[in-house]
Amino acid sequence: MDFANRNNTANKFVCPSDRQLALRAKLKAGWSSSKTNEPLRPEEQEAIISVIRRNEEIEIAERQRVGRLVERVEKIKLHAVERGPNCCRLCGDAFGLLRPQRILCEDCRKSVCTKCSVDINIRYHNSERTREIWLCRICSETREMWKKSGAWFFKGLPNYDMPVRSASAANTPMSTPMAGGVGAGGVGAYAGAGAGKGARAVQSCHGTPARGARIKKLTIRVNDSSSSASNSSASNSSASGQSEPEEDQLDAAKSSTAAGAAGQRLQRDESFRLRAYGSIRSFIDGGERKLSNSFLFGRQTNSRPADGQDYDNISNASTVAQLRREGSFMRRSSVSSSWSFSDSSGSGNSATQNTQNPQQQKQQQQQQQQQQQQQQQHCRDPLLGWLELAISYRESFHSLDCTMVRARDLPAMDASGLADPYCKLNIVTPEGHTKYTRWQRTKTVHKTRNPDFNETLQFVGVEPEELGNSLLYVALFDDDKYGHDFLGAAKVCLSTVHSTAQYRISVPLGVEDQYSNEAELSQSWPNGKMLISLCYNTKRRALVVNVKQCINLLAMDNNGSSDPFVKLQLKPDAHKNKKHKTSVKWRTLNPVYNEEFYFEASPHDLNKEMLILTVWDKDLGKSNDFLGSLQLGAQSKGDRLQQWLDCIRLPDHFHEKWHSLASDNPTH
Amino acid sequence: MAKTYDYLFKLLLIGDSGVGKTCILFRFSEDAFNTTFISTIGIDFKIRTIELDNKKIKLQIWDTAGQERFRTITTAYYRGAMGIMLVYDITQEKSFENIKNWIRNIEENAAADVEKMLLGNKCELNDKRQVSKERGEQLAIEYGIKFMETSAKASINVEEAFLTLASDIKAKTEKRMEANNPPKGGHQLKLTEIRTKDSWLSRCSLL
Repeated sequence: MDFANRNNTANKFVCPSDRQLALRAKLKAGWSSSKTNEPLRPEEQEAIISVIRRNEEIEIAERQRVGRLVERVEKIKLHAVERGPNCCRLCGDAFGLLRPQRILCEDCRKSVCTKCSVDINIRYHNSERTREIWLCRICSETREMWKKSGAWFFKGLPNYDMPVRSASAANTPMSTPMAGGVGAGGVGAYAGAGAGKGARAVQSCHGTPARGARIKKLTIRVNDSSSSASNSSASNSSASGQSEPEEDQLDAAKSSTAAGAAGQRLQRDESFRLRAYGSIRSFIDGGERKLSNSFLFGRQTNSRPADGQDYDNISNASTVAQLRREGSFMRRSSVSSSWSFSDSSGSGNSATQNTQNPQQQKQQQQQQQQQQQQQQQHCRDPLLGWLELAISYRESFHSLDCTMVRARDLPAMDASGLADPYCKLNIVTPEGHTKYTRWQRTKTVHKTRNPDFNETLQFVGVEPEELGNSLLYVALFDDDKYGHDFLGAAKVCLSTVHSTAQYRISVPLGVEDQYSNEAELSQSWPNGKMLISLCYNTKRRALVVNVKQCINLLAMDNNGSSDPFVKLQLKPDAHKNKKHKTSVKWRTLNPVYNEEFYFEASPHDLNKEMLILTVWDKDLGKSNDFLGSLQLGAQSKGDRLQQWLDCIRLPDHFHEKWHSLASDNPTH
Repeated sequence: MAKTYDYLFKLLLIGDSGVGKTCILFRFSEDAFNTTFISTIGIDFKIRTIELDNKKIKLQIWDTAGQERFRTITTAYYRGAMGIMLVYDITQEKSFENIKNWIRNIEENAAADVEKMLLGNKCELNDKRQVSKERGEQLAIEYGIKFMETSAKASINVEEAFLTLASDIKAKTEKRMEANNPPKGGHQLKLTEIRTKDSWLSRCSLL
């Protein structure tokens, strides 16, 4: 038989190996060089294409089915209360002596009551013995979802489409076709906006203090660009330079190829805000309604700077309406600039504002400092990316459906330049408070800076009259086991939302504020937090880890308290450091250690190593209980990565940060 | 609303040209047989929903062309298959010998834990037999997969074969998901296993 002695190259049954392919590539003969087949005849191609079409139908049905499965789990998750370890994760009932029995879910290790959990029998692979385990409803549904969607086989959920809500079926907003349709406009603009990596790197020089600076650093790191221009011309591009390109901009926006043109122009001007502005412009050029809203924020901060709170000023609908009128007027009469983003540039104000009414101008001068603040905010807008969302209101249900469609150009959060973003939503009342105590959140979209959420969240109990003066607040966070880092926030005025039509806009993301902090705090960390201080000691060539303190640890002992201590280890360890342990602090949930440990390592090694900290409850007579874990290293994300990199970059200084503890044990 | 189902399994039929893959599929999906030989163009699939343990399982069975000229197309479908039927013709020694090559092809292109099964088709033609049943069984044991002799024409074992493969996949699903590796976050499988907070007594009994 002629298969026996064949070598690889001649074996027609086996696809060629990488090496063979590489060799073939050199021959420039392509994949089929070893084959002498004739190409497919047209009728054969047709037959195959028809099969592929049929398959597509099935795939769509399957995607929708998986979408329904996902939605089911997400719904349960949304309704979970998550009040901490002493309450049921799902229904929020507190545990006690006479109260429901506390059950630890096998998967998520959170406490649930008997009502909210199921017990399943597990059969061991190799024996007939079965073991009963308890799962909370979320985890049992998640397992079910994994089973039914085939995710178990493919090691991850396949693509899915979230089901379309029946109420909004009329204009089918969330299904894929629509997303694509609008994407044409939006993405077109983005294409202009993202005109080259270099542009993105340049953006980062807008970064100003605190958070902005942090994000800036990360961005620069990822894009490997020079940070030379940092903080320079951003806020003080000259007045003359300002007004000119702006006109330019408006002309271009009229043309249909505005996005591309904007991209080109970018390379000419140095003002990147203009670019962003141009892309918005082209995106919204079609509809006035969209326009007025997406600029409301720019507008309102400019036109009435009297109070610090934006919300006071738009609290009555008439103001809003007026703003809208102005907005549309400006659009027609073009050059007047007060509504544009570019007008946020500092010294450009006096020149461009001349066309505005004098009173306003005066006010602005009076409020110089506040203006400055706003400018910074505006300057950094393009840096934090964009969010596209769709809102519709159903009067009969008094429910506001907010669809997070997608976000673009979010800041990177890990070393590979990616993030795992999700959105948190709430409604801000005219008084400046959040309407709901519980923030709604979307699923996390993993490993991307350009997530497509396509997820609808419902706010029930929104009165029609509330719409006129409330804001939708969306904060984007990066999902990580050890803390959620802020990515950007957007506010959308709800006054233009009508009950009938769905309303789509794309908004730039701004920096963090009181609401985003509130959103961040709403995330519960049942395992508590830890304060860690890191320093690289160049004399001893060692990493110094100071375990300062922990707070809100889990109570594991019967007395409602724990006896916590922390184990430290470096992995993978080039210098064979031994593992370290802090002392045990007896009967406390908020231990203060202030203990230092040395790990010998070169700064180069630290780029690959990971510091693993685990908190344990010391138990005498039986094994210690696991309380929480924290990993710091170059593979960390957000704040953890920042601390780690700072520690390497600025040796002999202590870098101190709070981190949340995760519930899984990385050393197992 | 389309018919609902609990699971969707994607199966794949591979084997030399003319061993009867399309006929097996035709028998299983339509319970019919066609004596005229029409070579499959590239790929095709059929759907049949079965019920196992009160769960509706939709089987999407991909039929591939055995001819070599379609190999690039057919291999593209290996990756998505959860179960693969390797078919040979008991009246053709060559098709049996090629099974080895098909298995290699699976190893290179399909998912690692794909469920496989070996079928010796045309078993109604006992007088023209070139491959004995024992040899088929031996080969199956060698690769650690299940084996059946089938006949699409006489409708022998076709139904059983597919049901066996489907139930094997389903059993695998349950084993996988009810073992100690729960899904994490709905997106990636969690690799680090969480040690349960058992007392030392029960932990001892586990080890």
